[in-house]
Amino acid sequence: MIVQGIVAFAAGVLLFSKNAMYKVKAFFGLLKEEDDTYDSIDIDEEDTETNDETE
Amino acid sequence: MTKPNNATHQASFRDPSGYMFHDGDTLRRVINPIYFPQYRKLTDSGFYQTLIKKGLLIGHEETSSSEEKIVITPEHIPFITNPYEWSFEQFKHAALLTLQIQKYALSKGFILKDASAYNVTFHKGKAVFIDTLSFDFYEENTPWRAYKQFITHFFGPLVLAKYHGTEILKMLQTHIDGLPVQLIASLLPGKTKLSSTLYTNIHLLAKLESKHSEDYKAETKVASLSKKAQNNILTNLFNFIKKLKLNEASEWGDYYEKTNYDDAALEAKKQLIREWVPALNTKTLIDMGGNDGTFARTVLDQVEDVIVTDIDSNAVGYNYHQTQQNGETNMLPFVCDVLQPAPGIGFNNTERSSLIERLQEYAPDMTMALALIHHITLSGNVPFLKSAEFFAKFCNYLIIEFPKREDSWVESLLVRKREFINHFDFYNESDFEAGYLEYFTMEKKEAISGTNRILYLLKVKQ
Repeated sequence: MIVQGIVAFAAGVLLFSKNAMYKVKAFFGLLKEEDDTYDSIDIDEEDTETNDETE
Repeated sequence: MTKPNNATHQASFRDPSGYMFHDGDTLRRVINPIYFPQYRKLTDSGFYQTLIKKGLLIGHEETSSSEEKIVITPEHIPFITNPYEWSFEQFKHAALLTLQIQKYALSKGFILKDASAYNVTFHKGKAVFIDTLSFDFYEENTPWRAYKQFITHFFGPLVLAKYHGTEILKMLQTHIDGLPVQLIASLLPGKTKLSSTLYTNIHLLAKLESKHSEDYKAETKVASLSKKAQNNILTNLFNFIKKLKLNEASEWGDYYEKTNYDDAALEAKKQLIREWVPALNTKTLIDMGGNDGTFARTVLDQVEDVIVTDIDSNAVGYNYHQTQQNGETNMLPFVCDVLQPAPGIGFNNTERSSLIERLQEYAPDMTMALALIHHITLSGNVPFLKSAEFFAKFCNYLIIEFPKREDSWVESLLVRKREFINHFDFYNESDFEAGYLEYFTMEKKEAISGTNRILYLLKVKQ
């Protein structure tokens, strides 16, 4: 019973702290995006040396 | 396996712009005169070059040019995976790549004339567009003609996977032209009609399609859509797909916590792999049933090309996620059920090769089957001789792990046989060796310390 209680308490703390940290980070804009390649639909041409003349 | 010289690639007959053919071991692409204006403009404007440099389009070089045909040679892709073999995240990335390319094409006066999921595969750790001839000139104020194909090949399956799980992605195996829009709409929960993106792109599309299903005269009006409106649709789809998450997804990680051996045993197994694989100068390796790639990763820096397959789409997804995080370019994960490998599909059953054909062509130097044989034998009821025959079809060397009857996983699988448990008395070390030595010779055999498992290194008989 005691062990069960401790485990439940630890799991509760972990769950709450994860959730709370996420909210705090989100509030301060500290969450980092994981997919850089698919961040935006627009293709960044700055680092290519090609010269697109179409349009 | 070398294809006959000048044999046309079996998947390359639908597009009149050109076709692929095998020139010995090299795959080349012929461009027909009908596509010369597009090809020249795409090349001269630097369009191809930009996409290739960004790693979004497979690179190619022009091999020859005449009035009858232009021949280009695309960069070699060691192994082609098909959409029904991708994890959810891979599928998402393939969809996002297609939208990125269409929006970029539009900004340069071109369009993607088709949006088939087969135009994308995974190479060097990333999704890459492989159909160089899929572009055409944009005509002002025309809608994207591949829009519906995008919905049936990408958007619909992804949204369905969100609500029904990744098994739904395997439906593409029976629907080479994508899932019918009305089927997608009927399988989605009613609440999706409240989403403006899902309502307009799926439910409304299904409604319109059913309304026009008996329009045999094809007297359809040519719709008009401004470039700005089309860009908005593309951006909306991109943002929606980017945020899509599986409802069934469990937290990634800790897959090996479920295994029945401790850290020391795990390390002992890794050590054997680290010794055996590089010693044979292995350049290509496939780990079948390789879960999240834990064991294949122990030799990733010593092998040029590594493939890891697993039946569990979430494990494959986790593996793919790691390749993205670590920037691994020589690891290719995909979903595969060894008991039911992907068949050849499409016209003539040859448009998309079966898994075994692709494995035979890939001909890996080393195949690993770790903690897999007890599932094949006891869950799939496949005798040792039959599974040995399967591996011998494409293996050169095979590292195979055999859990003995005393292993807790094997015990649990045997218990499930209930009154038929005696029918599986053949599951033992000597019968395993007898079956496999019909097709292989034994090079090494080592017990994995701390476990009831044996690791074999076998070489296929020529």
